[in-house]
Amino acid sequence: MKHNFDNLNLIFDKYPKTQESLIAVLQDIQKEYQYLPCEALEQTSEVLDVPLSKVFSVSTFYNSFSLTAKGDKVIKICTGTACHIRGAKLLQDQLENHLSIKAGETTEDMKFTLEVVACVGACAMAPVVVVGEKYHGSVKVSKVKKLVKAK
Amino acid sequence: MIHITINGKVVQAKDGEMLLTVIRREQIDIPTLCHHEAVEPSGACRLCMVEITKPSWDGWCDYVTSCLYPAEDGLIVNTHAPKVNELRSSILDMFLARHPKSPEIRQLAAEYGVMKTQFEEVVDGDNCILCGICTRICDTMGFKAISMVGRGHGKEVAPPLNMAPAACVGCLSCAKNCPTNYIEYNMKNGGLTIWKKDFEMIACTECGATTITKEFAEYLSVNRDIPFDYFEKCDACHRKELAGTMGRIANWDREARS
Repeated sequence: MKHNFDNLNLIFDKYPKTQESLIAVLQDIQKEYQYLPCEALEQTSEVLDVPLSKVFSVSTFYNSFSLTAKGDKVIKICTGTACHIRGAKLLQDQLENHLSIKAGETTEDMKFTLEVVACVGACAMAPVVVVGEKYHGSVKVSKVKKLVKAK
Repeated sequence: MIHITINGKVVQAKDGEMLLTVIRREQIDIPTLCHHEAVEPSGACRLCMVEITKPSWDGWCDYVTSCLYPAEDGLIVNTHAPKVNELRSSILDMFLARHPKSPEIRQLAAEYGVMKTQFEEVVDGDNCILCGICTRICDTMGFKAISMVGRGHGKEVAPPLNMAPAACVGCLSCAKNCPTNYIEYNMKNGGLTIWKKDFEMIACTECGATTITKEFAEYLSVNRDIPFDYFEKCDACHRKELAGTMGRIANWDREARS
């Protein structure tokens, strides 16, 4: 995928060019592109003077960073204890069927990415599905399709 | 200088020196997999575990990784206490479950009486024990070409972006220091392949044997002031040359005396 990397300099200018800025810069890049493109990692390594191997190590360590392009909307199915008991697996099956992808994958039209997460901290509303930034509680299998109606 | 007692013998140590250094200096053999004196200790393999106590501890003792524990005055160390041996065999038991095919692990485990693991063996595992000695050595060498990637059960040693690392010069320090010989490399037809990167080896101008990679020789000549042509001769030919030089010196001596 081709990107416009002009915005990278704006991100780099926000922080001191030291290795301490690494995570902050990566977070901004993740926000800008929804993932960490290889070129961006290479530039980060150069600008902050951190070896590329260390940049890669940090990028792969944290779950909030992704190295593959994600869809416009990221759907997170919570499978924490409470959600698991209240049928998160059924929601996952339903969404996987509906979007024809497996958890962790992105639809071909780059609209949705399906993710399974451990706990989003909203156990009282279990089962929870997070679409983009919005939390949906007490989701029923029959309701799930509506959450992705953009498709 | 401080004094510590190791296995009943009082020995001298520098304040703050790691226990393992003192133990090794006393020629006491304790197993390690992740230790290399050239790099910072990391306490990854846990095998250098020893029992420590002090008279003031009222009979209590502690079990610590000696590679990371600084010597203190009056410390009493036991490197092969029954409990220590027990701890080491259970650690090796777990290593054996993770890497049942590794000859190095099997041999070490056998030395501690673990012939077969009591845990379920990992069938499709590899022989990397994730001790990080390769990445630490690569950092110390100054290349910083490889690093730990991912975390948890997906953790592995890999070059950045899983592509041939630009920073690697093919010095082979990672592969040659790997305690389980896990890091693969291929040396043939005057070339070297490691971490998916291909290198050209320098051939000895005298006998044609390969010495080191061009990139490594360039690095050493630029950064360490070793003349590049030093690497254009192999070890054997350097020694032959040295014998010739020594012979000439001996001749001069003889002439000077007569």
